[in-house]
Amino acid sequence: MVLMNKGLHRKNEQLIKAHLNLYAVLKNLEDLVSHDPDTARLVKKWDVSIAFNVLGGPKACVEFKDGCCTVGKGRCRRPPVILFFTSPAHLNRMMEGKANSIPLRGFTKLGFLKKDFTQLTDRLEYYLRPNAALLKDRHYLELNTRLTLSTAAFAVPELGRYDPIGRLAAGRAGNGAVNIKILAQGPAVHVVFRDETIQAGRGEVEQPAALMQMKDWQVANDFFNNKTDPFTAIASGDVIIKGRIPLLESLSLILDRIPHYLS
Amino acid sequence: MKTYTFNASQNFFKRAAKVIPCGIYGHMSPAPLVPATAYPFYAAKAKGSKFWDVDGNEFIDYMCAYGPMVLGYNHEKVDSAAIKQIQSANCVTAPTPLMVELAECLVDLIPRADWAFFAKNGGDVTGYALMVARAATGRKKIVMVEGGYHGVAPWAQPPGSHGTMEDDSRNIIRIGWNDTAGFERVVNENDGEVAGFIATPYHHPTFADSEMPAEGYWQTIETLCKRKGIVLIVDDVRCGFRLDLRGSHEHFGFKPDLICFSKAMGNGYPISALVGTESLKSDASKVFHTGSFWFAAAPMAAALASLEELKRINGPAIMAEKGKKLLDGMVAIAKDYGLELKVSGHPSMPYLRITNDESLMLHQDWCGECTKRGAYFTSHHNWFISTAHSDEDIQRTWDIATDALQATKKAYGF
Repeated sequence: MVLMNKGLHRKNEQLIKAHLNLYAVLKNLEDLVSHDPDTARLVKKWDVSIAFNVLGGPKACVEFKDGCCTVGKGRCRRPPVILFFTSPAHLNRMMEGKANSIPLRGFTKLGFLKKDFTQLTDRLEYYLRPNAALLKDRHYLELNTRLTLSTAAFAVPELGRYDPIGRLAAGRAGNGAVNIKILAQGPAVHVVFRDETIQAGRGEVEQPAALMQMKDWQVANDFFNNKTDPFTAIASGDVIIKGRIPLLESLSLILDRIPHYLS
Repeated sequence: MKTYTFNASQNFFKRAAKVIPCGIYGHMSPAPLVPATAYPFYAAKAKGSKFWDVDGNEFIDYMCAYGPMVLGYNHEKVDSAAIKQIQSANCVTAPTPLMVELAECLVDLIPRADWAFFAKNGGDVTGYALMVARAATGRKKIVMVEGGYHGVAPWAQPPGSHGTMEDDSRNIIRIGWNDTAGFERVVNENDGEVAGFIATPYHHPTFADSEMPAEGYWQTIETLCKRKGIVLIVDDVRCGFRLDLRGSHEHFGFKPDLICFSKAMGNGYPISALVGTESLKSDASKVFHTGSFWFAAAPMAAALASLEELKRINGPAIMAEKGKKLLDGMVAIAKDYGLELKVSGHPSMPYLRITNDESLMLHQDWCGECTKRGAYFTSHHNWFISTAHSDEDIQRTWDIATDALQATKKAYGF
């Protein structure tokens, strides 16, 4: 077993955090555009792709077209805008509002980046940083919950691959898909464990091996923000679990790693 | 058939959730009872094979307090012995002579035992067994079976569990069940470093079928341990006194160095024991291990009475027979509905699973429906049969199982 020195440990933590920021947090732009009318109006006419390139870290491509947003892993094909980050830590500081990206391409779009895109990311931050007063608003509660659910799902593959405890938990999960849904008509996400790989997606898969269902939006919000302990929520019937419990146990251990990286 | 409701249980749970982590924690947490809302959370009274919850619902109990109940709840002989002892001396500044009597009883009963050490829970003695093995060998590593349960000490928990650190598992090596080649490999890879091998007599993990030892498994393990100077530890906490009163190793024909007992030993009274061979007695004596309540006399009186009664009636034979009768009937009932009910493990502690639905949701719903009708089944853990389960209980259980299948049928379309 290789013992990590503290410096390397911190570097790895930054790398994992960068993966989460790009592939789980920034991924929320898709839902924000689809479910927040103000954001939908803002991006309605955008036709642009933005590459996020992190030196020694992950890459992502954020594309806006026909009022939709997609956040994909990897490089963009000929993006008009490239945002460069000198390290995973640089990206993470930018996501916390403590640093700026370095535009490598798209100088003609500087105005767009500074004004329009910043408006979008501010909107995302607004919905991802709840407080008690904001959560009283039904639209805010639902969108914050939707984004939190999505963040959780898309964080799982990253943590299962890179986080030491996540890796251990993923290794014990076995094969199968878990559907996570907010009842009755709320959103759903799924996480598929198969042969030591993990994939996440929106919606439900057919014939899942396990289910995790939240009674309503408030229960889901409390659950994913660690305001209730899962055992109590399950015992009281607020959260319903079914199917292959070891899959859910592994998933739960991985989800519990999120606060270690994202506040 | 009328189904139960659990309003009082839920109300107690709401109160509990405010003042107790998880409301109910550990292995009695309702969370793995799927769906949790089909189960009672709090017991009001118990007698024989049954318990009654705080809503007044009656259950034929196939979990037997997760193993400690073996002769039936509130067993007259066992309770009388414990109460009598409480009235004279229980938790006192010195142990009572009952401690000597109980040690002599175990040494007489278990051919491999030359001495006995007492504590409260299984985890107390599995931990002690590891310390004795390390003291005796001067080595640090322990080999255990992946998925094996030996209590909740950090070393025994799966790596990555909350509250454990990487260092807790540093000297624990996990191998597969029945994997003698894997054992030989890790022993050779860690030559001169392995202090002990700990495993249950047969593999009874949660959420998975039980697995019996392959032919020659234990004998190969025993030979390898002897050759390499490794202490062979059997965790007989769950199976002990259910398969064979002389220890489950006698049932499977091998000779361990240390054996851990608890659950069925005192029919519900808190007591555990580590027994061992003469060659380890001196090392065991040097390991300081103790607890405030480990010398309490009432559980020792209960254990003596319990073991005596199990011997008198040949408890293991009764449990095996009742278990076989119950399970044969259940399998046939499931078959009538076109379902395969797979039974694994020993008949006195069977693990059941309806195989037609790999996700286990059908099995979970059926267990929940049975519980709501008065047969307490869990879907994720082996069940326990006691000597108190009667033929009437078994017939009632079959009726419940049938009605629950009928109720589940529509949802799953079988």
